[in-house]
Amino acid sequence: MGILGGGAKVNLFWRILGVVAGGVFVYAGILKAWEPMRFASDIDNYHMLPWALSVRLAFYLPWLEIFCGLAVIARVCYAGALAILGAMTTTFIVASVVAKSRGLDVSCGCFGHASKNVPFAWHLAIDFALLAIFACLFMRQRPKSL
Amino acid sequence: MAKRSSPRRAFRILRRPRNNVRGNWLRQAAILTALALVPAIGEAVYLRERVSWKSPATSDEVSVASAKGWGDNVLWLDARPADDFEAEHVPGAMLLNQEEFNELLPKVLNAWSPEKKIVVYCSKKTCGASREIARRLREEAQLRNVYVLDGGWESWVEARK
Repeated sequence: MGILGGGAKVNLFWRILGVVAGGVFVYAGILKAWEPMRFASDIDNYHMLPWALSVRLAFYLPWLEIFCGLAVIARVCYAGALAILGAMTTTFIVASVVAKSRGLDVSCGCFGHASKNVPFAWHLAIDFALLAIFACLFMRQRPKSL
Repeated sequence: MAKRSSPRRAFRILRRPRNNVRGNWLRQAAILTALALVPAIGEAVYLRERVSWKSPATSDEVSVASAKGWGDNVLWLDARPADDFEAEHVPGAMLLNQEEFNELLPKVLNAWSPEKKIVVYCSKKTCGASREIARRLREEAQLRNVYVLDGGWESWVEARK
């Protein structure tokens, strides 16, 4: 039995949740990998990193999202993928809040330009939901002896 | 023998048993971060000629529809001669042309705020003017989110019909 409950139904529930959350990142990663320069502009919009670094991250982060999303779905490198996705989501949240508090007009970058018209509160809600899912899935992996 | 079984062993490490998580998640994360580098570098090499590596692209065109979609978060700048501006301009637009750039810039900066996108337009005849104004705003005034209106003033008039 895992920390958050046992039984086949509970396990199935978390399994489906993991597949959905992983799928979200695969989808988001593909959107951004398709248009790296647009994603670079999104990162640059946060005014936190120099352009040279933003554009390099714009090429790298989408693929990291895709690989981690697929890893969560296939349960290969599962715990590592959950840790990375959790860290990335946390970074998104912190960067979004800091940028917003500085009066910048930011899209969260989760889905590149496709999410431009989603209100900021929704961005945060989605990010926090994803973070909670990854945290729960990661904790469920831990042995009972912890 | 050990060499022959290594791929299977490697896969077993990746699939890691349920009770051996703590030691493996860092290693798994390292594997994933390294794996993601491969397609990222491939894509970067493939697109290297089309990417502005050192600074943002010199100009970003935006359509009338997209610019209108930004609502009040837009500062319109008219790069045409003052006479054309006086005759007619985009509602709320400010004049900022090359002839009077230094004199007009302070007024523009007063109206600008960080959340606003800047859209520069000129007429098709002098379309280079809006690009030049956009470039100077980026380089001399260090402003970001500066766009050039695709099709210029004429496209605005067309969209109004």
